[in-house]
Amino acid sequence: MDVALWIEWIIKALILVLGLLTGFAYLTYMERKFLARFQNRYGPNRAGPFGLLQPVADGVKLIFKEELIPAQADKLIFMAAPIITTVPALIILGVLPFGGVVNIMGREVPLSIAGNLNVGVLYIAAITSISVYGIVLAGWSSNNKYATMGGIRSSAQMISYELALALSFVGPIMLAGSLSLADIVEEQMRIGWFIIYQPIGFVIFLIAALAEINRAPFDMPEAEQELTAGYHVEYSGMKFALFMMTEYIKMIVVSAIAATLFLGGYHLPFVTDQPWGVWLGPFILIGKIILLLWGIIWVRATLPRVRYDQLMAMGWKVLLPIALFNVFLTSVIMVLFPNWFSH
Amino acid sequence: MTEQLAPSVEELARVDELTTRFPEVVTPDTRKGYEGYIVRPENLIEVATYIRDEMGYDFLANLCGVDYLPENKMEVVYNVFRTTGGRGLTFKVQTPRDSSSVPSLTPVYPGADFQERETWDLLGIRFEGHPDLRRILMWEGFNGHPLRKDWREPFFEEEGKPFKSRWPEGHVYRIEDKNPFANNVAYPEGFDPDQWEPENDARLYESLRRSVKELYSDLDTEIIMVNMGPQHPSTHGVFRIAVALDGETVLALKPVMGYLHRNHEKIGERNTFLQNMPFTDRLDYLSSMSNNFGYALAVEKLMGVKPPERAEYLRVIMAELTRISNHIFAIGMFLNDLGAYFTPALYAIEERELILDIFEAVSGSRMMCNYFRFGGVARDLPEGVYDKIYKLVYDRLPRRIDELDLYLTNNEIVRSRTEGVGVLTPEQAIAFSEAGPVLRASGVPYDIRRADPYSIYDRFDFDVAVRYHGDTYDRYLIRIDEMRQSIRILQQAVRDLPEGPIQEGKPQYQVRVPAGEAYGRVEGPKGELGYYVVSNGKPNPWRYHVRAPSFINLNAYETMCVGNKIADVVAILGSIDIVLGETDR
Repeated sequence: MDVALWIEWIIKALILVLGLLTGFAYLTYMERKFLARFQNRYGPNRAGPFGLLQPVADGVKLIFKEELIPAQADKLIFMAAPIITTVPALIILGVLPFGGVVNIMGREVPLSIAGNLNVGVLYIAAITSISVYGIVLAGWSSNNKYATMGGIRSSAQMISYELALALSFVGPIMLAGSLSLADIVEEQMRIGWFIIYQPIGFVIFLIAALAEINRAPFDMPEAEQELTAGYHVEYSGMKFALFMMTEYIKMIVVSAIAATLFLGGYHLPFVTDQPWGVWLGPFILIGKIILLLWGIIWVRATLPRVRYDQLMAMGWKVLLPIALFNVFLTSVIMVLFPNWFSH
Repeated sequence: MTEQLAPSVEELARVDELTTRFPEVVTPDTRKGYEGYIVRPENLIEVATYIRDEMGYDFLANLCGVDYLPENKMEVVYNVFRTTGGRGLTFKVQTPRDSSSVPSLTPVYPGADFQERETWDLLGIRFEGHPDLRRILMWEGFNGHPLRKDWREPFFEEEGKPFKSRWPEGHVYRIEDKNPFANNVAYPEGFDPDQWEPENDARLYESLRRSVKELYSDLDTEIIMVNMGPQHPSTHGVFRIAVALDGETVLALKPVMGYLHRNHEKIGERNTFLQNMPFTDRLDYLSSMSNNFGYALAVEKLMGVKPPERAEYLRVIMAELTRISNHIFAIGMFLNDLGAYFTPALYAIEERELILDIFEAVSGSRMMCNYFRFGGVARDLPEGVYDKIYKLVYDRLPRRIDELDLYLTNNEIVRSRTEGVGVLTPEQAIAFSEAGPVLRASGVPYDIRRADPYSIYDRFDFDVAVRYHGDTYDRYLIRIDEMRQSIRILQQAVRDLPEGPIQEGKPQYQVRVPAGEAYGRVEGPKGELGYYVVSNGKPNPWRYHVRAPSFINLNAYETMCVGNKIADVVAILGSIDIVLGETDR
């Protein structure tokens, strides 16, 4: 293993993490701005031109806030919970291909950290489930009834929706015949985006992903109206910011996964095929991510929240059977018409 | 209101009915300016049952106590009505001041629950047989009963305004300045602050535990007691709900209020009659025009004046605009309670702002309007406002209400969250003295504007909105229906608005109110808003009681919530639509 490869990895990891952190900051700005326009308001417009420095101001405020730890809380777990939640969110995108292979100073550099990891999809499914521990622990260690209920709700919700989410991964995996995300994107470049072949899978993915990242209309664990703030009700300052950060980074992450699995990843017809097109890969992907994020924000501005028992009923009685049926249908078609999908 | 003062044939027949059926027990109230009957306390339940079952007065609108200090007795006044419409019936019981005790009417009218607790709390009249006689607005451990005439607040200055310190010499001082150590604060006999132990809501929790009837799960579970509020984002203010939960399911629930209590009624008794007009604005601060209306009606009944035509029309226009602004805001905030992130609320507020613009133009204030006067209104419409109102009621508001209806009513999540949730049957709604949209959503078409018309409502062509399921969804729909009916009334009123004076006689600061009692009520946006005023001929009312719909509508809150999920508690509260300024008074 040569030193240059190490340096390459470190640089790529740094770019990814810093990109995600900046992305998180400006996603809050984007959400506030879009929500405001949806709601007939202006949104942040005081800090900097068009309010562009608002995320910076928010960050500074949160850093200087007093960190309160409730007297009855389990201190160690209370401190660890935000970290357990945040770290998985940051490392999920390690397996995502941001582009093809480019040539930098005579070196063939793939635009991803571990894009061709041969269990990439499994890795995603595994890592996303870890953050639920952070949320449950945060709720439990706060020693607060609202927080505990938020934590319990979130564990139940995440476990239920994990199943449908994972089953919606199966369609693209079968079509591509590989668990590697790089292979999945390449297959889409060859036969067309998987949203054409997997419309049901895509819809299931979007719904389950909203529930998985606790976004409206499935934001049960932090339901403001009933549980005030749910599992992070006792958190303040940067610990609170870490929870918010996780929520927003996970929004970016699921959008990126949706774009990669169903919307062709960094591929855009007639552009990626050009000689300079490979450099545009990351930007194309980011464009798709922003579109999906906009959709998530739109949903939040539009829909009321479903009730907890309705959410669970939908997860187990509707989404899971449909996802299973989708897998079944895909396999039947692939067996009946093998020529359509030759690997 | 001359036509209301003349007794009708039906009423004369009624006199015979009650007094002949219960000779000795029921006697007509013969004091000058008073009406109704005085019932012997021992026979109260029997008489009330007769009044409810045989005479059909099934709706206990108002229950309040009056302290007649000079005669050394307490009186409890009951105003009952028929939900089929018509004038009401007043009956009273009297009890000595020092050991006041009256049988509780909760077995006959369950809606008496909160009102009896309030009367016990503020006047110290004990209601024998009340299932849960705790203080409701003051805290447990409060010394005395503040509405008693001999109870004096710590910085007591004089019995009635205007205080001599402010008027007429013009040398203004505050009593607090003269008494910096607050040494006229009275402590109870033998009270030692160091030994005092707070009661910590022990009685509340005991009452909550008593209400838990059954567990919904056959697992071996523990009940969780959760206090939602007083600081909570969706209790619409400083309102507290103590809930006993089994998992997410509500087993029992007790509303706890009084965090915003300022003893409105005691202050009202210190004020002069006109000083109370701006003070009513502060009750339900979202619909001050309706609050003014009810109070003006009650005092006008006592004074025997009638506002001129144009003033009547202006009153109706303002009251109906208030209803629309209140309902549109209520719907917006209700969607917020369902978890819609402020979008419907902000679109609703946009329309409300336009209505508030009109209020500002006519009264000088957007929310605290203080617009009504006894026998008229304060100001005429300024130039250009008529056109504004015209455009609003003929064009903009109907359009925007339709738009709201289009986007919200058939939303899948809204329907699944609200249909069949928090059901109140018509019988329960009447029994609990629910009023306004809550009552009508349960299938009881009882609207005071139609059932017992006041002002000039009998001239307008409108329908009483009614829905039949009694669930949260119907309580949402009925508000949209009512806004449409209000638009119809407004269109007629704006079209027919006559020219003329806006005030009967000369505007006065100090009105002369003859001795007597009056109960004036209007169909406020939240339900029956009543004012029970007793005058003894002095410049200040002897008794000033507000029948607050947000307060009394909470009677049925527990019944609606039990068995539902914790998220529904919030949705149901939003569908009752309370304002804490009025609930706590």
